[in-house]
Amino acid sequence: MTEAYLFTETEAVICHGAKMVEEDRSYWVVGGGPPRLTMHLAQRLYFPNVTIFTEDGCIAPRPILPPDPLGNFVNSKAGYRAVAWTNMNTVCCHASLGYVDYGFLSTLQVDPYGNINSSLLGGDYHHPGRRFGGAGGANEIASLCWRTILMTTLEKRKFVKKLDFITSPGFLDGSPEAREGAGLPQGTGPWRVITSEAVFGYDGKTHYMKLLAIAPWVTVEDVLAKMEFEPLIADVVETLPFPTEEELALLRVTIDPRGQVIGEGNWIQV
Amino acid sequence: MEVLAQGTGEFKPPDPEGHRAYIQQHKSRALVSKVMTEQEAIGRFVSDGDYLSYDCNMLLRGPASLVRELIRQRKKDLWVGGKFTYVIVSLLAAAGCVSRVDVGFIGLGQALSRALDEGRIKMTEWSNTSITMRHLAGAMGIPFIPARFLGGADTFHYSGAKTVTDPFTGKPVTLLPAINPDVSLIHVHQCDVYGNARIFGTSVAPVETALSAKKLIISTEEIIDTEEIRRNPGRTTIPYYAVDAVVEAPFGAYPGNVPGLYRNDPDHVTEVMGAVRSSDPERLEEYMDKYIYSVSSHQEFLEKRVGLERLLWLKREEKIKEGYYI
Repeated sequence: MTEAYLFTETEAVICHGAKMVEEDRSYWVVGGGPPRLTMHLAQRLYFPNVTIFTEDGCIAPRPILPPDPLGNFVNSKAGYRAVAWTNMNTVCCHASLGYVDYGFLSTLQVDPYGNINSSLLGGDYHHPGRRFGGAGGANEIASLCWRTILMTTLEKRKFVKKLDFITSPGFLDGSPEAREGAGLPQGTGPWRVITSEAVFGYDGKTHYMKLLAIAPWVTVEDVLAKMEFEPLIADVVETLPFPTEEELALLRVTIDPRGQVIGEGNWIQV
Repeated sequence: MEVLAQGTGEFKPPDPEGHRAYIQQHKSRALVSKVMTEQEAIGRFVSDGDYLSYDCNMLLRGPASLVRELIRQRKKDLWVGGKFTYVIVSLLAAAGCVSRVDVGFIGLGQALSRALDEGRIKMTEWSNTSITMRHLAGAMGIPFIPARFLGGADTFHYSGAKTVTDPFTGKPVTLLPAINPDVSLIHVHQCDVYGNARIFGTSVAPVETALSAKKLIISTEEIIDTEEIRRNPGRTTIPYYAVDAVVEAPFGAYPGNVPGLYRNDPDHVTEVMGAVRSSDPERLEEYMDKYIYSVSSHQEFLEKRVGLERLLWLKREEKIKEGYYI
Protein backbone atom coordinates (compact mmCIF):
# COMPACT_ATOMS: atom_id res chain seq x y z
CA MET A 1 0.00 0.00 0.00
CA THR A 2 1.39 3.33 -1.09
CA GLU A 3 0.84 6.37 1.07
CA ALA A 4 -0.83 9.24 -0.74
CA TYR A 5 0.10 12.87 -0.30
CA LEU A 6 -2.61 14.77 -2.11
CA PHE A 7 -6.29 14.24 -1.32
CA THR A 8 -9.43 16.09 -0.26
CA GLU A 9 -10.64 16.32 3.34
CA THR A 10 -13.58 14.10 2.46
CA GLU A 11 -11.32 11.48 0.90
CA ALA A 12 -9.22 11.54 4.07
CA VAL A 13 -12.16 11.04 6.42
CA ILE A 14 -13.55 8.22 4.30
CA CYS A 15 -10.15 6.48 4.22
CA HIS A 16 -9.81 6.82 8.02
CA GLY A 17 -13.28 5.40 8.48
CA ALA A 18 -12.83 2.49 6.07
CA LYS A 19 -9.86 1.16 8.00
CA MET A 20 -11.85 1.27 11.24
CA VAL A 21 -14.69 -0.92 9.98
CA GLU A 22 -14.95 -4.34 11.62
CA GLU A 23 -15.31 -7.51 9.60
CA ASP A 24 -18.37 -9.72 10.28
CA ARG A 25 -20.26 -6.86 11.92
CA SER A 26 -23.48 -5.12 10.90
CA TYR A 27 -23.89 -1.40 10.15
CA TRP A 28 -27.03 0.69 9.74
CA VAL A 29 -25.80 3.47 7.49
CA VAL A 30 -27.60 6.75 6.97
CA GLY A 31 -28.12 8.46 3.62
CA GLY A 32 -25.83 8.52 0.61
CA GLY A 33 -22.93 10.65 1.82
CA PRO A 34 -19.50 9.93 3.31
CA PRO A 35 -20.65 7.14 5.69
CA ARG A 36 -22.05 5.11 2.77
CA LEU A 37 -18.92 5.67 0.66
CA THR A 38 -16.83 4.59 3.64
CA MET A 39 -18.69 1.30 3.80
CA HIS A 40 -18.29 0.73 0.04
CA LEU A 41 -14.55 1.35 0.29
CA ALA A 42 -14.23 -0.91 3.31
CA GLN A 43 -16.29 -3.65 1.68
CA ARG A 44 -14.36 -3.57 -1.60
CA LEU A 45 -10.86 -3.26 -0.14
CA TYR A 46 -10.69 -4.67 3.36
CA PHE A 47 -13.84 -6.21 4.83
CA PRO A 48 -15.96 -8.10 2.29
CA ASN A 49 -18.18 -9.59 4.97
CA VAL A 50 -19.66 -6.49 6.57
CA THR A 51 -23.44 -6.30 6.56
CA ILE A 52 -24.99 -2.98 5.59
CA PHE A 53 -28.57 -2.01 6.42
CA THR A 54 -30.33 0.93 4.79
CA GLU A 55 -33.48 2.74 5.85
CA ASP A 56 -35.48 1.49 2.90
CA GLY A 57 -35.15 -2.04 4.24
CA CYS A 58 -32.25 -3.23 2.14
CA ILE A 59 -30.12 -5.80 3.98
CA ALA A 60 -26.53 -6.62 3.00
CA PRO A 61 -26.52 -5.39 -0.62
CA ARG A 62 -23.58 -5.69 -2.99
CA PRO A 63 -24.27 -2.41 -4.76
CA ILE A 64 -23.35 -1.86 -8.37
CA LEU A 65 -20.57 0.69 -8.74
CA PRO A 66 -20.19 3.35 -9.97
CA PRO A 67 -23.38 4.37 -8.20
CA ASP A 68 -26.39 6.18 -9.55
CA PRO A 69 -25.69 9.92 -9.98
CA LEU A 70 -28.35 10.59 -7.33
CA GLY A 71 -26.41 8.47 -4.83
CA ASN A 72 -26.01 4.85 -3.85
CA PHE A 73 -29.21 4.77 -1.88
CA VAL A 74 -32.89 4.05 -2.58
CA ASN A 75 -32.45 2.80 -6.13
CA SER A 76 -32.05 -0.56 -7.80
CA LYS A 77 -28.26 -0.26 -8.21
CA ALA A 78 -27.93 0.36 -4.47
CA GLY A 79 -30.03 -2.67 -3.60
CA TYR A 80 -28.33 -5.13 -5.97
CA ARG A 81 -27.67 -8.67 -4.69
CA ALA A 82 -28.91 -7.94 -1.18
CA VAL A 83 -29.81 -10.86 1.07
CA ALA A 84 -33.23 -9.33 1.75
CA TRP A 85 -35.43 -6.49 0.58
CA THR A 86 -37.62 -5.48 3.48
CA ASN A 87 -38.87 -2.11 4.71
CA MET A 88 -38.13 0.56 7.26
CA ASN A 89 -39.96 -0.98 10.22
CA THR A 90 -38.25 -4.34 9.67
CA VAL A 91 -34.75 -2.87 9.75
CA CYS A 92 -35.70 -0.84 12.83
CA CYS A 93 -36.96 -4.01 14.54
CA HIS A 94 -33.70 -5.80 13.74
CA ALA A 95 -31.81 -2.96 15.38
CA SER A 96 -34.22 -2.96 18.32
CA LEU A 97 -33.54 -6.69 18.75
CA GLY A 98 -29.78 -6.04 18.93
CA TYR A 99 -28.71 -7.37 15.53
CA VAL A 100 -27.10 -4.11 14.46
CA ASP A 101 -23.64 -3.49 15.87
CA TYR A 102 -22.97 -0.03 14.49
CA GLY A 103 -25.02 2.97 13.52
CA PHE A 104 -23.17 5.22 11.11
CA LEU A 105 -24.31 8.85 10.85
CA SER A 106 -23.43 12.30 9.62
CA THR A 107 -24.37 15.40 11.58
CA LEU A 108 -24.50 19.19 11.59
CA GLN A 109 -23.36 19.53 15.22
CA VAL A 110 -22.09 17.27 17.99
CA ASP A 111 -21.68 18.07 21.69
CA PRO A 112 -19.21 16.62 24.24
CA TYR A 113 -21.61 13.77 25.08
CA GLY A 114 -22.12 12.73 21.49
CA ASN A 115 -25.63 14.17 21.15
CA ILE A 116 -26.24 15.26 17.58
CA ASN A 117 -28.20 17.92 15.77
CA SER A 118 -29.53 17.59 12.23
CA SER A 119 -32.69 19.69 12.66
CA LEU A 120 -31.92 23.38 12.84
CA LEU A 121 -29.18 25.97 13.36
CA GLY A 122 -29.53 29.28 15.17
CA GLY A 123 -32.55 30.90 16.77
CA ASP A 124 -34.90 28.67 18.72
CA TYR A 125 -37.19 25.83 17.78
CA HIS A 126 -40.11 28.03 16.85
CA HIS A 127 -37.97 30.62 15.05
CA PRO A 128 -34.97 28.74 13.69
CA GLY A 129 -32.19 30.53 11.87
CA ARG A 130 -32.00 27.67 9.40
CA ARG A 131 -34.18 24.62 9.33
CA PHE A 132 -32.85 21.31 8.02
CA GLY A 133 -34.44 18.03 7.04
CA GLY A 134 -35.26 16.66 10.49
CA ALA A 135 -34.33 13.55 12.38
CA GLY A 136 -34.82 11.22 9.44
CA GLY A 137 -33.58 7.81 10.50
CA ALA A 138 -30.80 9.20 12.67
CA ASN A 139 -32.78 9.11 15.91
CA GLU A 140 -33.57 5.40 15.75
CA ILE A 141 -30.06 4.60 14.51
CA ALA A 142 -28.45 6.50 17.40
CA SER A 143 -30.92 4.97 19.86
CA LEU A 144 -30.93 1.30 18.89
CA CYS A 145 -27.57 0.26 17.41
CA TRP A 146 -25.00 -0.93 19.94
CA ARG A 147 -22.45 1.71 18.97
CA THR A 148 -22.91 4.99 17.10
CA ILE A 149 -20.22 6.29 14.77
CA LEU A 150 -20.38 9.89 13.56
CA MET A 151 -18.61 11.23 10.52
CA THR A 152 -18.28 14.99 10.20
CA THR A 153 -15.85 17.83 9.61
CA LEU A 154 -13.71 19.31 12.38
CA GLU A 155 -14.98 22.85 12.81
CA LYS A 156 -15.73 25.09 15.78
CA ARG A 157 -19.32 25.55 14.67
CA LYS A 158 -19.78 21.78 14.60
CA PHE A 159 -18.05 20.63 17.81
CA VAL A 160 -20.08 22.80 20.16
CA LYS A 161 -20.62 22.94 23.94
CA LYS A 162 -24.36 23.00 23.56
CA LEU A 163 -26.44 21.94 20.59
CA ASP A 164 -29.07 24.19 19.06
CA PHE A 165 -31.34 21.11 19.10
CA ILE A 166 -30.79 17.48 20.20
CA THR A 167 -32.13 15.59 17.21
CA SER A 168 -30.70 12.21 18.13
CA PRO A 169 -29.41 10.99 21.47
CA GLY A 170 -25.82 10.53 22.46
CA PHE A 171 -25.15 10.08 26.16
CA LEU A 172 -27.70 12.91 26.76
CA ASP A 173 -26.47 14.69 29.94
CA GLY A 174 -23.69 12.12 30.34
CA SER A 175 -25.06 10.64 33.57
CA PRO A 176 -24.79 6.82 33.79
CA GLU A 177 -28.50 6.07 33.54
CA ALA A 178 -29.52 8.86 31.18
CA ARG A 179 -30.18 6.73 28.11
CA GLU A 180 -31.98 3.93 29.93
CA GLY A 181 -34.01 6.50 31.82
CA ALA A 182 -35.23 7.83 28.49
CA GLY A 183 -36.35 4.36 27.41
CA LEU A 184 -33.35 3.54 25.20
CA PRO A 185 -31.75 0.06 25.25
CA GLN A 186 -29.01 -0.74 27.74
CA GLY A 187 -25.40 -0.75 26.64
CA THR A 188 -25.88 1.44 23.58
CA GLY A 189 -24.43 4.84 22.77
CA PRO A 190 -21.85 6.95 20.98
CA TRP A 191 -18.60 5.21 20.04
CA ARG A 192 -16.46 7.25 17.64
CA VAL A 193 -16.44 10.60 15.88
CA ILE A 194 -14.36 10.48 12.72
CA THR A 195 -13.06 13.61 10.98
CA SER A 196 -10.31 14.10 8.43
CA GLU A 197 -7.98 15.44 11.13
CA ALA A 198 -8.87 13.53 14.28
CA VAL A 199 -10.76 10.59 15.72
CA PHE A 200 -12.56 10.81 19.04
CA GLY A 201 -14.03 8.30 21.46
CA TYR A 202 -15.71 8.78 24.84
CA ASP A 203 -14.53 8.31 28.41
CA GLY A 204 -16.02 5.13 29.84
CA LYS A 205 -17.12 6.77 33.11
CA THR A 206 -17.94 10.39 32.35
CA HIS A 207 -19.09 9.77 28.76
CA TYR A 208 -17.18 12.93 27.78
CA MET A 209 -15.58 13.08 24.34
CA LYS A 210 -11.93 12.06 24.23
CA LEU A 211 -9.32 12.68 21.53
CA LEU A 212 -7.89 9.30 20.51
CA ALA A 213 -5.96 9.88 17.30
CA ILE A 214 -4.85 12.63 14.93
CA ALA A 215 -3.87 12.73 11.28
CA PRO A 216 -0.14 12.84 10.59
CA TRP A 217 -0.48 16.30 9.06
CA VAL A 218 -1.88 18.05 12.19
CA THR A 219 -0.95 18.55 15.86
CA VAL A 220 -3.17 18.15 18.91
CA GLU A 221 -3.18 21.95 19.19
CA ASP A 222 -4.45 22.26 15.62
CA VAL A 223 -7.31 19.94 16.51
CA LEU A 224 -8.27 21.71 19.74
CA ALA A 225 -8.27 25.06 17.95
CA LYS A 226 -11.11 23.77 15.77
CA MET A 227 -13.41 22.83 18.64
CA GLU A 228 -15.61 25.01 20.83
CA PHE A 229 -15.08 22.68 23.81
CA GLU A 230 -11.92 20.96 24.97
CA PRO A 231 -12.20 17.18 24.85
CA LEU A 232 -10.37 14.81 27.16
CA ILE A 233 -7.11 13.68 25.61
CA ALA A 234 -5.95 10.06 25.58
CA ASP A 235 -2.69 9.31 27.42
CA VAL A 236 -1.25 8.25 24.10
CA VAL A 237 -2.74 10.02 21.09
CA GLU A 238 -2.33 7.66 18.14
CA THR A 239 -1.36 8.81 14.67
CA LEU A 240 -3.77 7.87 11.90
CA PRO A 241 -2.36 6.33 8.73
CA PHE A 242 -2.25 8.30 5.49
CA PRO A 243 -4.85 7.51 2.86
CA THR A 244 -3.35 5.06 0.39
CA GLU A 245 -3.16 5.34 -3.38
CA GLU A 246 -5.21 2.14 -3.62
CA GLU A 247 -8.00 3.65 -1.53
CA LEU A 248 -8.01 6.88 -3.52
CA ALA A 249 -7.99 5.05 -6.85
CA LEU A 250 -11.01 3.00 -5.82
CA LEU A 251 -12.83 6.08 -4.52
CA ARG A 252 -12.09 8.22 -7.57
CA VAL A 253 -12.60 5.65 -10.31
CA THR A 254 -15.24 3.29 -8.98
CA ILE A 255 -17.07 4.56 -5.90
CA ASP A 256 -17.50 8.25 -6.72
CA PRO A 257 -16.20 8.87 -10.25
CA ARG A 258 -18.18 12.12 -10.54
CA GLY A 259 -16.58 13.46 -7.36
CA GLN A 260 -20.00 14.33 -5.97
CA VAL A 261 -19.06 13.43 -2.39
CA ILE A 262 -15.27 13.13 -2.33
CA GLY A 263 -14.83 16.47 -4.04
CA GLU A 264 -16.10 18.27 -0.92
CA GLY A 265 -13.66 20.09 1.36
CA ASN A 266 -10.20 21.52 0.92
CA TRP A 267 -7.32 19.69 -0.69
CA ILE A 268 -4.66 18.47 1.69
CA GLN A 269 -1.11 18.30 0.43
CA VAL A 270 1.57 16.81 2.67
CA MET B 1 -48.88 3.58 33.64
CA GLU B 2 -46.85 6.42 35.08
CA VAL B 3 -45.99 9.02 32.46
CA LEU B 4 -42.33 9.96 32.93
CA ALA B 5 -42.07 12.49 30.12
CA GLN B 6 -44.19 13.68 27.25
CA GLY B 7 -43.75 15.68 24.11
CA THR B 8 -45.53 18.94 23.45
CA GLY B 9 -46.15 18.37 19.75
CA GLU B 10 -49.66 18.28 18.35
CA PHE B 11 -50.88 15.01 16.91
CA LYS B 12 -54.12 13.51 15.70
CA PRO B 13 -55.54 11.57 18.67
CA PRO B 14 -55.71 7.82 17.98
CA ASP B 15 -59.24 6.49 17.55
CA PRO B 16 -59.22 2.72 16.85
CA GLU B 17 -62.98 2.36 17.47
CA GLY B 18 -63.79 5.23 15.16
CA HIS B 19 -61.55 3.68 12.55
CA ARG B 20 -63.25 0.27 12.84
CA ALA B 21 -66.64 1.93 12.49
CA TYR B 22 -65.42 3.72 9.37
CA ILE B 23 -64.12 0.43 7.90
CA GLN B 24 -67.44 -1.28 8.66
CA GLN B 25 -69.46 1.44 7.00
CA HIS B 26 -67.31 2.57 4.11
CA LYS B 27 -64.95 -0.16 2.96
CA SER B 28 -66.57 -2.64 0.63
CA ARG B 29 -65.39 -6.24 0.67
CA ALA B 30 -66.98 -6.78 -2.71
CA LEU B 31 -64.83 -7.69 -5.70
CA VAL B 32 -65.69 -4.71 -7.85
CA SER B 33 -63.52 -2.78 -10.23
CA LYS B 34 -62.06 0.38 -8.72
CA VAL B 35 -60.32 1.57 -11.84
CA MET B 36 -60.72 5.30 -12.39
CA THR B 37 -58.81 8.31 -13.64
CA GLU B 38 -56.40 10.21 -11.41
CA GLN B 39 -58.74 13.21 -11.56
CA GLU B 40 -61.64 11.16 -10.23
CA ALA B 41 -59.55 9.36 -7.58
CA ILE B 42 -58.04 12.53 -6.12
CA GLY B 43 -61.32 14.42 -6.50
CA ARG B 44 -63.38 11.79 -4.72
CA PHE B 45 -61.00 10.55 -2.06
CA VAL B 46 -58.83 13.49 -1.02
CA SER B 47 -60.71 16.11 0.99
CA ASP B 48 -59.47 19.43 2.29
CA GLY B 49 -58.28 18.98 5.87
CA ASP B 50 -57.36 15.32 5.44
CA TYR B 51 -54.35 13.65 7.05
CA LEU B 52 -52.33 12.51 4.01
CA SER B 53 -49.74 9.75 3.91
CA TYR B 54 -47.84 8.31 1.00
CA ASP B 55 -45.10 5.75 0.60
CA CYS B 56 -41.59 6.52 -0.62
CA ASN B 57 -40.47 9.69 -2.33
CA MET B 58 -39.44 11.34 -5.58
CA LEU B 59 -36.33 9.15 -5.76
CA LEU B 60 -37.91 5.73 -5.34
CA ARG B 61 -41.41 4.55 -6.30
CA GLY B 62 -43.27 7.51 -4.81
CA PRO B 63 -46.81 8.40 -5.99
CA ALA B 64 -45.52 11.39 -7.94
CA SER B 65 -48.31 11.52 -10.54
CA LEU B 66 -50.99 11.46 -7.81
CA VAL B 67 -49.20 14.21 -5.90
CA ARG B 68 -49.07 16.37 -9.03
CA GLU B 69 -52.81 15.81 -9.55
CA LEU B 70 -53.50 16.68 -5.92
CA ILE B 71 -51.61 19.94 -6.39
CA ARG B 72 -53.50 20.61 -9.65
CA GLN B 73 -56.79 20.20 -7.79
CA ARG B 74 -55.51 22.68 -5.18
CA LYS B 75 -56.41 20.65 -2.14
CA LYS B 76 -56.11 22.63 1.08
CA ASP B 77 -55.20 22.30 4.73
CA LEU B 78 -53.73 18.79 4.54
CA TRP B 79 -51.73 17.33 7.42
CA VAL B 80 -48.87 15.36 5.90
CA GLY B 81 -47.03 12.40 7.37
CA GLY B 82 -43.55 13.28 6.13
CA LYS B 83 -41.69 10.04 6.59
CA PHE B 84 -38.55 9.72 4.52
CA THR B 85 -39.62 12.09 1.79
CA TYR B 86 -37.61 14.58 -0.17
CA VAL B 87 -39.21 17.30 -2.20
CA ILE B 88 -42.88 16.32 -2.06
CA VAL B 89 -43.57 18.19 1.19
CA SER B 90 -41.90 21.29 -0.24
CA LEU B 91 -44.04 21.13 -3.37
CA LEU B 92 -47.22 20.64 -1.35
CA ALA B 93 -46.28 23.51 0.95
CA ALA B 94 -45.42 25.85 -1.90
CA ALA B 95 -48.72 24.99 -3.60
CA GLY B 96 -50.64 25.88 -0.45
CA CYS B 97 -51.98 22.34 0.01
CA VAL B 98 -50.53 21.74 3.46
CA SER B 99 -50.96 23.33 6.86
CA ARG B 100 -49.32 20.72 9.12
CA VAL B 101 -46.38 18.38 8.69
CA ASP B 102 -45.23 15.45 10.81
CA VAL B 103 -41.50 15.55 10.28
CA GLY B 104 -39.48 12.46 9.63
CA PHE B 105 -37.22 13.53 6.85
CA ILE B 106 -38.76 16.20 4.69
CA GLY B 107 -35.89 17.43 2.57
CA LEU B 108 -34.22 20.76 2.83
CA GLY B 109 -34.99 23.98 1.19
CA GLN B 110 -36.05 27.54 1.12
CA ALA B 111 -39.56 26.68 -0.02
CA LEU B 112 -40.27 25.06 3.35
CA SER B 113 -38.41 27.75 5.28
CA ARG B 114 -40.58 30.40 3.65
CA ALA B 115 -43.75 28.47 4.47
CA LEU B 116 -42.60 28.15 8.09
CA ASP B 117 -41.54 31.80 8.40
CA GLU B 118 -44.83 32.99 6.98
CA GLY B 119 -46.74 30.75 9.39
CA ARG B 120 -48.36 28.82 6.55
CA ILE B 121 -47.32 25.46 8.00
CA LYS B 122 -46.73 24.01 11.44
CA MET B 123 -44.57 21.03 12.21
CA THR B 124 -44.53 18.25 14.76
CA GLU B 125 -41.17 16.50 15.17
CA TRP B 126 -40.89 12.76 14.78
CA SER B 127 -38.37 10.60 12.99
CA ASN B 128 -38.73 8.36 9.96
CA THR B 129 -39.34 5.14 11.84
CA SER B 130 -41.44 6.72 14.58
CA ILE B 131 -43.82 7.75 11.79
CA THR B 132 -43.72 4.31 10.12
CA MET B 133 -44.28 2.68 13.53
CA ARG B 134 -47.24 4.99 14.11
CA HIS B 135 -48.67 3.74 10.82
CA LEU B 136 -47.96 0.16 11.91
CA ALA B 137 -50.01 0.75 15.07
CA GLY B 138 -52.73 2.28 12.90
CA ALA B 139 -52.57 -0.77 10.63
CA MET B 140 -52.88 -3.09 13.65
CA GLY B 141 -55.98 -1.38 14.99
CA ILE B 142 -54.27 -0.49 18.26
CA PRO B 143 -54.01 2.95 19.89
CA PHE B 144 -50.23 3.16 20.36
CA ILE B 145 -47.04 1.19 19.94
CA PRO B 146 -44.06 1.01 22.29
CA ALA B 147 -40.65 1.83 20.84
CA ARG B 148 -37.17 1.87 22.28
CA PHE B 149 -36.08 5.05 20.53
CA LEU B 150 -37.02 8.75 20.31
CA GLY B 151 -36.87 9.23 24.12
CA GLY B 152 -34.41 11.72 25.60
CA ALA B 153 -33.86 13.92 22.54
CA ASP B 154 -35.39 17.33 21.77
CA THR B 155 -37.08 15.54 18.89
CA PHE B 156 -39.11 13.71 21.54
CA HIS B 157 -39.87 16.96 23.34
CA TYR B 158 -41.47 18.43 20.21
CA SER B 159 -43.23 15.19 19.25
CA GLY B 160 -46.49 13.75 20.56
CA ALA B 161 -44.81 10.72 22.15
CA LYS B 162 -44.81 9.81 25.85
CA THR B 163 -42.26 7.92 27.91
CA VAL B 164 -43.95 5.77 30.55
CA THR B 165 -43.07 3.08 33.05
CA ASP B 166 -43.78 -0.19 31.28
CA PRO B 167 -46.24 -2.14 33.46
CA PHE B 168 -44.58 -5.45 32.50
CA THR B 169 -40.85 -4.76 32.94
CA GLY B 170 -41.06 -1.74 35.22
CA LYS B 171 -38.63 0.09 32.91
CA PRO B 172 -39.09 3.27 30.89
CA VAL B 173 -40.43 2.81 27.38
CA THR B 174 -41.62 5.30 24.77
CA LEU B 175 -45.15 5.12 23.38
CA LEU B 176 -45.99 6.38 19.92
CA PRO B 177 -49.64 7.23 19.16
CA ALA B 178 -51.18 5.32 16.24
CA ILE B 179 -51.94 7.21 13.07
CA ASN B 180 -54.81 6.35 10.76
CA PRO B 181 -54.44 8.64 7.75
CA ASP B 182 -57.63 9.89 6.15
CA VAL B 183 -56.07 9.09 2.82
CA SER B 184 -52.94 7.28 1.63
CA LEU B 185 -51.33 7.26 -1.81
CA ILE B 186 -49.20 4.30 -2.90
CA HIS B 187 -47.55 3.67 -6.25
CA VAL B 188 -47.08 0.00 -7.14
CA HIS B 189 -45.58 -2.13 -9.88
CA GLN B 190 -48.72 -4.17 -10.61
CA CYS B 191 -52.33 -4.21 -9.49
CA ASP B 192 -55.57 -5.85 -10.63
CA VAL B 193 -58.82 -3.95 -11.14
CA TYR B 194 -59.95 -4.73 -7.58
CA GLY B 195 -56.80 -3.35 -5.96
CA ASN B 196 -54.74 -6.46 -5.24
CA ALA B 197 -51.34 -4.85 -5.53
CA ARG B 198 -47.74 -5.95 -5.91
CA ILE B 199 -44.62 -4.02 -4.95
CA PHE B 200 -41.20 -5.42 -5.77
CA GLY B 201 -38.00 -4.43 -4.01
CA THR B 202 -37.24 -2.28 -1.00
CA SER B 203 -39.75 0.14 0.45
CA VAL B 204 -40.49 2.45 3.32
CA ALA B 205 -43.81 1.28 4.76
CA PRO B 206 -46.29 0.51 1.98
CA VAL B 207 -48.33 -2.09 3.86
CA GLU B 208 -48.53 0.01 7.02
CA THR B 209 -49.37 3.16 5.04
CA ALA B 210 -52.04 1.31 3.04
CA LEU B 211 -53.72 -0.65 5.81
CA SER B 212 -53.80 2.17 8.36
CA ALA B 213 -55.64 4.46 5.96
CA LYS B 214 -59.32 5.22 5.76
CA LYS B 215 -59.15 5.91 2.02
CA LEU B 216 -56.50 4.38 -0.20
CA ILE B 217 -55.57 5.35 -3.73
CA ILE B 218 -53.26 3.03 -5.63
CA SER B 219 -51.51 4.13 -8.78
CA THR B 220 -49.98 1.31 -10.76
CA GLU B 221 -47.50 0.91 -13.58
CA GLU B 222 -49.82 -1.68 -15.12
CA ILE B 223 -53.12 -3.38 -14.45
CA ILE B 224 -52.77 -7.16 -14.48
CA ASP B 225 -55.30 -9.94 -14.57
CA THR B 226 -56.64 -11.24 -11.25
CA GLU B 227 -55.78 -14.78 -12.35
CA GLU B 228 -52.15 -13.70 -12.45
CA ILE B 229 -52.49 -12.49 -8.85
CA ARG B 230 -54.07 -15.82 -7.88
CA ARG B 231 -51.34 -17.82 -9.60
CA ASN B 232 -48.69 -16.24 -7.33
CA PRO B 233 -50.46 -15.03 -4.18
CA GLY B 234 -47.21 -14.81 -2.22
CA ARG B 235 -46.34 -11.72 -4.24
CA THR B 236 -49.42 -9.72 -3.19
CA THR B 237 -48.41 -6.73 -1.07
CA ILE B 238 -51.81 -5.10 -0.47
CA PRO B 239 -55.19 -6.90 -0.58
CA TYR B 240 -58.10 -5.47 -2.57
CA TYR B 241 -60.47 -4.62 0.30
CA ALA B 242 -58.13 -1.91 1.59
CA VAL B 243 -58.21 -0.13 -1.77
CA ASP B 244 -60.68 2.56 -2.89
CA ALA B 245 -59.22 3.56 -6.24
CA VAL B 246 -56.93 2.01 -8.82
CA VAL B 247 -55.30 4.48 -11.20
CA GLU B 248 -53.33 3.18 -14.15
CA ALA B 249 -50.23 5.39 -14.25
CA PRO B 250 -47.27 4.20 -16.30
CA PHE B 251 -44.20 6.17 -15.19
CA GLY B 252 -46.29 7.28 -12.23
CA ALA B 253 -43.22 7.58 -10.00
CA TYR B 254 -41.38 9.82 -12.47
CA PRO B 255 -38.83 11.35 -11.78
CA GLY B 256 -38.13 8.49 -9.34
CA ASN B 257 -36.90 4.97 -9.95
CA VAL B 258 -39.31 2.06 -10.16
CA PRO B 259 -36.88 -0.81 -9.64
CA GLY B 260 -36.80 -3.29 -12.48
CA LEU B 261 -38.81 -1.02 -14.78
CA TYR B 262 -37.25 2.43 -15.28
CA ARG B 263 -34.47 4.41 -13.73
CA ASN B 264 -34.75 7.80 -12.03
CA ASP B 265 -34.34 10.92 -14.14
CA PRO B 266 -31.37 12.68 -12.56
CA ASP B 267 -31.89 15.86 -14.60
CA HIS B 268 -35.47 16.28 -13.44
CA VAL B 269 -34.64 15.45 -9.82
CA THR B 270 -31.84 18.01 -9.94
CA GLU B 271 -34.25 20.56 -11.43
CA VAL B 272 -36.94 20.07 -8.80
CA MET B 273 -34.44 19.97 -5.94
CA GLY B 274 -32.85 23.16 -7.24
CA ALA B 275 -36.28 24.80 -7.38
CA VAL B 276 -37.28 23.88 -3.81
CA ARG B 277 -33.89 24.85 -2.43
CA SER B 278 -33.70 28.17 -4.25
CA SER B 279 -34.10 31.39 -2.32
CA ASP B 280 -35.93 32.75 -5.35
CA PRO B 281 -39.59 31.68 -5.02
CA GLU B 282 -40.14 32.32 -8.72
CA ARG B 283 -38.01 29.32 -9.65
CA LEU B 284 -40.39 27.00 -7.85
CA GLU B 285 -43.40 28.78 -9.29
CA GLU B 286 -41.95 28.33 -12.76
CA TYR B 287 -41.27 24.66 -12.06
CA MET B 288 -44.81 24.05 -10.83
CA ASP B 289 -46.35 25.96 -13.67
CA LYS B 290 -44.33 24.08 -16.26
CA TYR B 291 -44.74 20.56 -14.87
CA ILE B 292 -48.00 20.64 -12.93
CA TYR B 293 -50.43 23.50 -13.59
CA SER B 294 -49.93 23.85 -17.33
CA VAL B 295 -50.81 20.21 -18.06
CA SER B 296 -54.17 18.62 -17.46
CA SER B 297 -53.12 15.05 -16.70
CA HIS B 298 -50.25 12.67 -16.07
CA GLN B 299 -50.50 11.52 -19.67
CA GLU B 300 -50.15 15.06 -20.98
CA PHE B 301 -47.24 15.58 -18.58
CA LEU B 302 -45.47 12.53 -20.00
CA GLU B 303 -46.19 13.45 -23.61
CA LYS B 304 -45.46 17.15 -23.49
CA ARG B 305 -43.02 17.65 -20.63
CA VAL B 306 -40.97 14.45 -20.58
CA GLY B 307 -41.31 12.99 -24.06
CA LEU B 308 -41.09 9.56 -25.57
CA GLU B 309 -37.36 9.66 -26.18
CA ARG B 310 -36.63 10.33 -22.52
CA LEU B 311 -39.10 7.71 -21.31
CA LEU B 312 -37.54 5.06 -23.54
CA TRP B 313 -34.11 6.03 -22.24
CA LEU B 314 -35.30 5.66 -18.65
CA LYS B 315 -36.55 2.16 -19.43
CA ARG B 316 -33.44 1.19 -21.35
CA GLU B 317 -31.15 2.39 -18.57
CA GLU B 318 -32.84 0.33 -15.87
CA LYS B 319 -30.69 -2.70 -16.43
CA ILE B 320 -31.37 -4.62 -13.24
CA LYS B 321 -34.32 -6.97 -13.56
CA GLU B 322 -33.44 -9.82 -11.26
CA GLY B 323 -35.50 -9.96 -8.12
CA TYR B 324 -38.20 -7.70 -9.54
CA TYR B 325 -39.99 -9.25 -12.50
CA ILE B 326 -37.74 -12.32 -12.83
